[in-house]
Amino acid sequence: MSEFNDIFPRKFVIFGAIGFVFILFLLRLIQLQVLYGDVYGKKSEENSIRQIARDPIRGMVFDRTGILLVDNRPSYTVAVTPSEFKWSNISYLASILSIDTITLREKIEKGIRYNRFAPVKVKRDIDFPTLSALEENKEKLPGVDYQVESKRFYPTGAKAPHLFGYTKEISDQQLMEVGNDYRPGDNIGATGLEAAYERYLRGQKGFELITVNAFGQLLGRYNDGMNDIPVREGNDLFLAIDAKTQALAESLMADKRGAVVAIDPSNGGVIAFVSKPDYDLTKFGSVTPVDVWKAFNTDESKPLFNRASLTRYPPGSTFKMVLAAAALEEEVIDLNWRVNCRGSYTFGSRVFHDLHVHGSTNVVEAIQKSCNVFFYQLMLKTGFEKWTRYGQEFGFGSSTGIDILEENPGLLPSNEVFDKMYGKGRWTQGYLLSLSIGQGELGVSPIQMANYAASIANMGFYHSPHAVQKILDKQTKQSQEILPQTRSFTLSANTWKLIREGMYKCVNEEGGTGQSAKVQNASVCGKTGTAQNPHGKDHAWFVGFAPKDNPKIAICVLVENAGYGGAFAAPIAGLCIEQYLYGELIREKPLRSISNLILMNQEDQ
Amino acid sequence: MVDLWYKENTDFKTIMPVILLLLLGIMSVYSATYDAGASVYFNRQLIWAAVGFALMITIMFIPFRTLQMLSFPLYGLSVIFLIVVLVMGKIVAGSKSWFGIGGYGLQPSEMVKVTTILALAAFLSERQVNLARWKNVAIAFGFVLLPVILIVLQPDVGTALVYLGMLVVIIYWAGATNFLMILLIAPVAAAVATLFGTTAFLIVIATTFILLFILRQNWLFSAMVFSFTVLMGVSVQYIFGKLAPHQQKRILTFLNPDADPLGAGYNVIQSKIAIGSGGFFGKGFLQGSQTQLNFLPAQWTDFIYCVPSEEFGFIGAFAILLFLTLILFRGVQIASMVKSKYASLVAIGIVAALGTHTVINIGMSMGVMPVVGVPLPFMSYGGSNLLTNMIMAGLLLNMYANRKEY
Repeated sequence: MSEFNDIFPRKFVIFGAIGFVFILFLLRLIQLQVLYGDVYGKKSEENSIRQIARDPIRGMVFDRTGILLVDNRPSYTVAVTPSEFKWSNISYLASILSIDTITLREKIEKGIRYNRFAPVKVKRDIDFPTLSALEENKEKLPGVDYQVESKRFYPTGAKAPHLFGYTKEISDQQLMEVGNDYRPGDNIGATGLEAAYERYLRGQKGFELITVNAFGQLLGRYNDGMNDIPVREGNDLFLAIDAKTQALAESLMADKRGAVVAIDPSNGGVIAFVSKPDYDLTKFGSVTPVDVWKAFNTDESKPLFNRASLTRYPPGSTFKMVLAAAALEEEVIDLNWRVNCRGSYTFGSRVFHDLHVHGSTNVVEAIQKSCNVFFYQLMLKTGFEKWTRYGQEFGFGSSTGIDILEENPGLLPSNEVFDKMYGKGRWTQGYLLSLSIGQGELGVSPIQMANYAASIANMGFYHSPHAVQKILDKQTKQSQEILPQTRSFTLSANTWKLIREGMYKCVNEEGGTGQSAKVQNASVCGKTGTAQNPHGKDHAWFVGFAPKDNPKIAICVLVENAGYGGAFAAPIAGLCIEQYLYGELIREKPLRSISNLILMNQEDQ
Repeated sequence: MVDLWYKENTDFKTIMPVILLLLLGIMSVYSATYDAGASVYFNRQLIWAAVGFALMITIMFIPFRTLQMLSFPLYGLSVIFLIVVLVMGKIVAGSKSWFGIGGYGLQPSEMVKVTTILALAAFLSERQVNLARWKNVAIAFGFVLLPVILIVLQPDVGTALVYLGMLVVIIYWAGATNFLMILLIAPVAAAVATLFGTTAFLIVIATTFILLFILRQNWLFSAMVFSFTVLMGVSVQYIFGKLAPHQQKRILTFLNPDADPLGAGYNVIQSKIAIGSGGFFGKGFLQGSQTQLNFLPAQWTDFIYCVPSEEFGFIGAFAILLFLTLILFRGVQIASMVKSKYASLVAIGIVAALGTHTVINIGMSMGVMPVVGVPLPFMSYGGSNLLTNMIMAGLLLNMYANRKEY
């Protein structure tokens, strides 16, 4: 066929075209399978194997005697898997969960942006009726499921919300900061020990490897679970807290404002840590409703505010030992130096008052009876600089380093501070007289005051206060002791002897202002304070320690707007010391009277 | 004697790769469906393979003349089928392209490929037909455009593209002038190039200009062809700009599937992962994670190439490419060796049809062609397609057996 002659070159064109495509595809195959085979292999693994995160159980918290203070209980969280969810069910689901449809829609849509195959938590801590309603309608609600999470549970009477703190859902901001270990919807310690010891308490997420198909449906475990990453439970915390003392202190402070902080002077362990008024931690167990937040934040008594470490109040007379120590140590005075107290002291044109006429008073008696006139004059004799310097030695004006990580360093005035506050030469010696009795610009917190008491108990040696003594790793069964930072300063034996004698007499002898802190056979040493408060009634203070020799507990009690420290703070301190030293209250009567007295007092206002 | 005839007239160079592809296809369908709860597809595919094989052998023995005579009536009948299916067909995956017969579906657009090839071959092999005459070119176009319009109405763009591929190759083989080829190819190339950007468009325009200049045909016609090519590119660009965003996205996703990994680009990404992760030796039969976990929806149809590529790796993927190429090469050889122009055109039409399917399907699976649903010859699940492919293989064997006939 002659026609085919001119077809023949066409044959080669077509052969060429087929060959060209063949070589092109061959090169592409080599590129995909030989050159980039590993890359695609990895992608295919990531594709078909999904990690299901398992949340670890948060570590538990025990007191010094092994009593469980903070435990976990199951809580049910509803989660929606967007890829399986039917949007037509949304208002139905919203009504079961009693949340509004718009919020629910937003949550699910947020989940889709993250991963449409991964469940997104839409409501936490549902109650039993909701759970059973979900169970009954399981068939009608594809993609809706619930997960068991744990929420905090506090089995004892020791509530200590400001110490324990709470967890809350991690914010977007935090997610960016803390990175990979957390996912949206996870809880993270927000305050107190929960926040400070987050990395110990939290544990490590586990991951189950599940094979899934393209629809995200689970097909089974990958490699029989051999490659799963097991959950690591959180570490347990063992506190220095004594649950019974804590519970007693909390009950004594009921219906009052203020704080109780007790420290073990031998190691800085926090025995009790109370801030009142407080709040119910179970309300923060997993998720906090907006109205609860609102109520707390608008509450005038500020229950969320940690008065034990964040306050900055003048300490009143409890601060007098600082000046006494400075004067004795610098040999400005000795025991023979006496002041004749006539109930007031006139300096320049101002009259500075005292509560009583103490007559001839030496330093021991001045501490015992809290003689203001003695300290006014002692301040002038000793000087501002020395007072400031010794104040620093006792730890004022700086943070104690307590391990809940929230405290106010307070303010310890000095020449520089006053120059800054008032201008050079603009403040007078009169300002110092207020400082000498713990008034004026001086600002301290109860934790600082307890620490101060501990330093007197130890005669110049103290530890940064810490609630946690030991962290137990449940996997390795190894525990890690918390070694606090220690500080010390030296005062002569005579100085310590005189100060401590004054504090002993304050509690144990006639004329002492702190006699209601007295505990049988416990040789309590202490000092009361009644701090003037420009906003209302005086704040009652007490600091002390016991027993005098070989002290086991140092304590600070602050009752806001209560009045006299001797009347309102000292008895609470005494009861706490008694409870701690004896393991029980050996008297009952004062307990009732103290509680009633202060309650009545509150009603007077 | 029978033994000798058998040796003399059976083309093993066609049969062997066809059988190998059939077997690989059945294995792949088995693998793709066995964990997907779709084993019914495998059982049906087995039946169709058997029926198809019988059909192939039967067609090989149909007298050559009868075949040629039946070309036009069969074409007419199949066009009627296409009209009927549009009116009363059942809708599968959004297309009205199926007849339901018992539990089995029949897709006329597949079979019509064969009848169109036969009719076109019959027409172009008539003595008086000369493609230098525009009238004949128009008639040839008409044979193809009639079913194409009916198929686009279904709508089934992939199959329509296969018809256009067939038309270009058959016309070329039948002796179309180079000028006509430029007229056919240049505007399409310009339209496609436009989507890739201005540079690609300019290259096509320049190439067209140079080719037209070299051919030095009628200046007026050349200017018209050139203008038409430019106009095609510009108007596609204009139409593209007018498209709804989701339609634009669909087109652009082909250029960059990673832009929409869970949407339009999903299949391409999953398919590339399946093929790539097979590596050199593959993951083993029934061990392909992409395949077994059904990452590609209905993988046993259009994305079947991923299955052997993942489970048998480069070895498997290359083997399939090779077998398909061997059939195509053999088809061109048969088209060149037969004495009858009709037989030659039928053979080249079959090469064009199978070739277009192969290029679109494998190119799509490997992410170098747009995703249009076109089955892979001899391998994809689907009765109509497999039977059509076996008929085409049978026709190739028939042409070979009758290679000495005029």
